[in-house]
Amino acid sequence: MNITRRLLGKAALGLAGATLLMQLPAIAQDRPAPFDKPGAVKIALVRYLSTGDFFQAYLSGVEAQAKALGVDLRVLDSRQDAALQADMVDQAIALGVQGIIIQHGLTESMKDAAQRAVDAGIKVVAFDVNVENPKIPQIEQSDRDLARLALEQAVKDNGESWKAGYVYVAGIAPLDRRNETWVEFKKKYSGINEAAMFGTLDNPIANSVANQARSVLSAHPDIKVMFAPYDEFAKGVKIAVDEAGLNKDIKIYSADISTSDIAAMREPDSAWAATAATNPAVVGQVSVRALAQLLAGEDPGHNVIVPPTLITQKDLLDKDIKNMEDLSAKLPQFAHADVAMPAWMPNPNAK
Amino acid sequence: MILRDRAIRYGFIVLLFGLIAYFAIAADGFVSPQSAVFIFQSVAITGVLALGVTATLVVGGFDLSIGSVATSAMMAAAYVMVVLEQNAVVAVVACLVIGAVVGLINGWLIVYMRVPDLLATLGMMFLLVGLQRIPTEGRSIATGMTMPDGSVANGSFGAAFLALGRHRFDFFIPNLIPVSVVVLLVLAVLIWFFLEYTRFGRMMYAVGSNERAAELAGAPVKAYKIWAYVISGVFASIGGILLAARLGRGDIASGNNLLLDAVAAALIGYAVLGAAKPNAFGTAVGAVFVGVLLQGLTMMNAPYYTQDFVKGVVLVVALVFTFALSGRGRR
Repeated sequence: MNITRRLLGKAALGLAGATLLMQLPAIAQDRPAPFDKPGAVKIALVRYLSTGDFFQAYLSGVEAQAKALGVDLRVLDSRQDAALQADMVDQAIALGVQGIIIQHGLTESMKDAAQRAVDAGIKVVAFDVNVENPKIPQIEQSDRDLARLALEQAVKDNGESWKAGYVYVAGIAPLDRRNETWVEFKKKYSGINEAAMFGTLDNPIANSVANQARSVLSAHPDIKVMFAPYDEFAKGVKIAVDEAGLNKDIKIYSADISTSDIAAMREPDSAWAATAATNPAVVGQVSVRALAQLLAGEDPGHNVIVPPTLITQKDLLDKDIKNMEDLSAKLPQFAHADVAMPAWMPNPNAK
Repeated sequence: MILRDRAIRYGFIVLLFGLIAYFAIAADGFVSPQSAVFIFQSVAITGVLALGVTATLVVGGFDLSIGSVATSAMMAAAYVMVVLEQNAVVAVVACLVIGAVVGLINGWLIVYMRVPDLLATLGMMFLLVGLQRIPTEGRSIATGMTMPDGSVANGSFGAAFLALGRHRFDFFIPNLIPVSVVVLLVLAVLIWFFLEYTRFGRMMYAVGSNERAAELAGAPVKAYKIWAYVISGVFASIGGILLAARLGRGDIASGNNLLLDAVAAALIGYAVLGAAKPNAFGTAVGAVFVGVLLQGLTMMNAPYYTQDFVKGVVLVVALVFTFALSGRGRR
């Protein structure tokens, strides 16, 4: 068992080293401990949310970076069970992992569990859950920047004065942060008039939001811009706009992206003008990299922020982007974020 | 007594018209042909599901799996067209077969394995929520998606299939009535006629009101019960087809909200015309009632939680109508 793992580790290191060599032929430096023997490094990803495209892509990013480093990754998935997620941290401690990534969860249930892991000498990073611990770096996708990018594009496209419909459900942390930016924008541009606010998380979300949006459009036929800062909302609004035949009169601005979003934005005369998104796979990679830095004794900083990218309909059409893979290939800023990238860190995107 | 009978019989219909009158005054643009059609469209999918669950309620059963049957059918339609690159007809047939098979299994579990209806269909619900994610490893299905093995799915939703969700028939005003509304109305009339006027339907009511008596009278009770679940499954899969045609992609979803809305419509239906029993006409009115409420409240900028609250109030009031006022609830 030991031998195979060491062999595997060496093979992985060799491969990773080869990539590094091709990338940076001049430097070719060794990695700091413990990544000189990455096969012996065990890390765990403890998840709260896992179903849906975003979380699938996040996981693939974590896996890609773990593979590039050659470390042993264990995935523990609590499937939205807050108590189980806390237990899983203890389980990971018992497994003898050196590092833990906490992905989502509730502050109340994860705070103590995270502290227990830190007390056990384990390095911990947290993504999108505030565990209120100065020793634990927080990985974040900047929701405020997401909303700001989309809204700036809306102002660029439509001027500073328009009637808007806004889709929002309070009490969901990322949506609340996006909402802060919307509130600021309305203050900054007095010409932006919010005619209606609606939203629901009844699933299928797109279908429920489409029903609401239809009602809103018949009550306020003069709406010019729909700000739907979550892609499921935007899909619903687009269905309603199409059904009302208003797709040339209304523009939709949103956040997040997926292959089906790309298809919807690319449709002829699509109302969906732009979306701002952070690549969930990149967020996954950054989570592992920040953890690796901690393990190597480096400081990634307390707030590790992954910057978003603005994706417009024009980009998609001009560059002939049809799915997420095309997007990563043709918009390089979407495929890789230069965050938590010390010189020794292997880049999983390097070919 | 006559007054009370009248109240029970027409109370809910009066309430519905009162509501429409109120929204007509309070919300601009509520009264228009487009708005009326839209109300039907917004309840078309849950309405079809509700008509299906009515059939199981009639035989004294219940079907908790309809929401997940609908979303599974949606995923199946997307899978057949996008991944297997088949045409719309194949997709529709695949969905209907899935609905019928699930209904058969539900009926078999309940009738022959003697699993209580709520538990059997609850199990089926979980099974389907998981099953629909296995082929794509939890991803939603859209044209151009990457499959788990790294290949790209190149099929797309056929125009004929999308038309099920998007085409509109001319009716006095051009492009007025969407296909989904026509489907809802046709199915409502069919199931209403079937339950009220055919021997088969009346026997189903007999099974529901006293299974033992029906059996002693020589009715093949088991067959009627299984048929009820097959109807429910097939209707749910039709709902799923409409959903897929509207969304234009395969969305992973549990369909729990579809289930709850459909059940609410069917239960509200108990109160319509003082029937105090499951009936197709009542279910349709119940679905429209919920649609009117949600349309009006959304137009008045009411947030989603007040809408849930109002939906709940309507359901409770309807159940009070059914069980307390009519006095027929006690058996």
